[in-house]
Amino acid sequence: MHEIYSKTAPEVDYSQVKRIEGFETIQCEYSAYLSDESKLSPKPFDYLFFPRSEAELAAVIKMLNQQGTPFTVAGARTGLVGGCVAQEGALISLEFLDKVMEVYRDEPSGEWRVKAQTSVSLKNLDSMLRVKQLPSLEQSPVEAVRRHYAEFRYDPDDYFYPPDPTEMSASLGGSVVTNASGARTYRYGPTRAWVRGMRVFLANGEYLDIPRGRYTASPAGQFVVYDSKGGATTITIPDYPQPRTKSTAGFYTAPQMDLIDLFIGSEGVLGIVTSVDVALLRHEEKVSIIQFVDSDEQAVTLADALRSEGRIQLDFLEFYSGNALDLLRRLQGEEPSTVGMPPIPENAKAALFIEMSFDPHQADLDFSILEAVINDCGGSLERSWAGYESRELDRFKVFRHMVPETINSIIAERKKQYPGIHKLGTDMAVPDGHMREMWDLYRSHCEGLQLEWCAFGHIGNNHIHVNILPRNLDELEKGMELYEIFAQKAVELGGSVSAEHGIGKIKAKFLKYMFNPEQIDQMRRVKKALDPQGLLNPNDIFPVEVTA
Amino acid sequence: MKIVVCVKQVPEVTNVQVDPKTGTLIREGVKSILNPFCEYALDHAVRIKNSVPDVSITVITMGPPQARDVLVRSLELGADEGVLITDRKFAGADTWATSLTLAEAIRTVIPDHELVLVGKQAIDGDTAQVGPEIAEILGLPQITYGVEVNLAETRRQVRVTQEVEKGYEVIEAKLPALVTCSKGELVRRAPSFKDVINARKKPIRVVSANELQIPEEQLGLQGSYTQVVKVFPPPAKKSNLLLQNLEAAEAAREIYSFLKEKRFVE
Repeated sequence: MHEIYSKTAPEVDYSQVKRIEGFETIQCEYSAYLSDESKLSPKPFDYLFFPRSEAELAAVIKMLNQQGTPFTVAGARTGLVGGCVAQEGALISLEFLDKVMEVYRDEPSGEWRVKAQTSVSLKNLDSMLRVKQLPSLEQSPVEAVRRHYAEFRYDPDDYFYPPDPTEMSASLGGSVVTNASGARTYRYGPTRAWVRGMRVFLANGEYLDIPRGRYTASPAGQFVVYDSKGGATTITIPDYPQPRTKSTAGFYTAPQMDLIDLFIGSEGVLGIVTSVDVALLRHEEKVSIIQFVDSDEQAVTLADALRSEGRIQLDFLEFYSGNALDLLRRLQGEEPSTVGMPPIPENAKAALFIEMSFDPHQADLDFSILEAVINDCGGSLERSWAGYESRELDRFKVFRHMVPETINSIIAERKKQYPGIHKLGTDMAVPDGHMREMWDLYRSHCEGLQLEWCAFGHIGNNHIHVNILPRNLDELEKGMELYEIFAQKAVELGGSVSAEHGIGKIKAKFLKYMFNPEQIDQMRRVKKALDPQGLLNPNDIFPVEVTA
Repeated sequence: MKIVVCVKQVPEVTNVQVDPKTGTLIREGVKSILNPFCEYALDHAVRIKNSVPDVSITVITMGPPQARDVLVRSLELGADEGVLITDRKFAGADTWATSLTLAEAIRTVIPDHELVLVGKQAIDGDTAQVGPEIAEILGLPQITYGVEVNLAETRRQVRVTQEVEKGYEVIEAKLPALVTCSKGELVRRAPSFKDVINARKKPIRVVSANELQIPEEQLGLQGSYTQVVKVFPPPAKKSNLLLQNLEAAEAAREIYSFLKEKRFVE
């Protein structure tokens, strides 16, 4: 079925919604709402809204619509491309839509699912699932909700939500509209693979309930949305092919695609997701291993070998370059306890970080295949760190997150001298078989220009984040030029200019490397159909023109 | 030279939540870990082993069968063999019955022990009694609150830097001796994956009540002088004053009168 009807939320008085007026007041008293993790500077905007319910959100949208005021939507503000940085009109913070609504078993699939409002943080969801305590459900006035929760608790197995985009303070809804991925995407796919339903408010203030599997594009590639006033909107989905790698650049499209997939990863420019249903997976014990090797190139070779060995099932396969380890060594030299791990061995010149299923109670653990692959690449399991207790897994995860955090603090320090400086972090992925070529390009260019740089990230998905740390504005410019060279090469190899960070406001200029003008126009037409006035999240993905 | 390290399995408290209704700890889903102070003791043992030839480390624990996990963890971190003292008859043991059992097991299974290292206390019970009691029962000199533990060159004495209220004291004791440890490695060791695999091949000896020369009435609950009657969290602090839905001037008046009442302002 490709036709869907939008519904209206209960009416509430717009004046009851908490709002802050005036950019000066917002700047002084609500400065946290001015930017996100991209640190992009905002332009003056007039209103900041805090709706406490979907009905309040609908009232705000309708009022802004009547006024023709553009509005930007913010979740946990953890994005890296400035998606929720307002530049005009109003900013709507969804932070009060933060309740877990239900946990239930979907009988046809046998899956346990969680229905939650958009601003439940991934961290809270993870902690609640770890101990199977979802307090808001215990006190639910709805008997079925309490019963389903009791059934969930009674299930002897433990469950978890697989997407793990490292930044766990991100909101669930935010991770859905950005199709967040991260380390575990290697095994479990991006967020898209776990979304089973959503409620999305459109720019006109009405909403769609979209369970996965019910609404698919017609053979002609169209959806029709009927509103409550009898109006009909036809959406024609783009017809470009998806890159052969993970990607968050541009709208998702596929023949007879599911309507829900159009909204997942759309960066909020097509609608505001207020609740989602996501699937859970049975928990297994895991072991994290940091495998040290002799060089960056050896790490790339070992990563290829691990991926090619079909008998090894890894949850993730991550990379630290030698200069990333040096960065952490420097921290350890200043304050050994900061890093939370023992001293990084002197002979470690790069590392791979893997996680896989592991039964600590099994007496005769057989990891001979893993060991053979590592030995064949010139490595040794003796040169590793391993941990499997939950506190150890957490500690290893903190260690994994420490390189980007350290880079951010170095850049913040340099900004004091050169305010124009910012981090240059690549987000390109290439198809299998091209990682070595891409790595050689990264390395030769960064070293050729004698830039300070390091690399880390999802080598299992051929998706390494190269981070250039400019020491002055001249180096910043050189780094920006390199970025363009890298982006063009990634596309030439069949990859993506943005594998997980999205396009937002910061990376819009790179879309043209992946899509031709007609393809970008196809995306614009989808946006125009759902948001004719161009009010929703202006300047995200499509800079100004479409909003004019 | 044989070093014995006594270890205990404790709940991992960082994730423990309190049931809002009953006020008790929610134990479901809470994992067990090696008590951090025991890990410090083991760290000192491994340091000695790495710096002095011919040292072997035996870790010993008393507990239910699943306490085997902390022995395996200790073997990953560098111990050579484990001893699991487990029997239903040990259930309900207080610090005295535990110390008696551990001491007797050390005497029986590792009669040639020269240095016994223990954590200063467990993070679940916090009594800090078991180490000193074992020393008394075995008739060993004891040094408590050790932060550095080294063997003298002659290997006949242990030299311990002890935490005291005003700083540190360095104390020596003739071996065999017992040291309780209050600090160890700055950050936890991380074994290699090879260590993790190999630990499961190291020997763990299981010892039951009838292998120890202790009369049955001195074991477990029966042999305990104390008993835990109730576990409860400390009373919650008085809730904060929260003013809501007031105009600014009214809120300011309320805050002022509150501060005045508490004599923070005139």
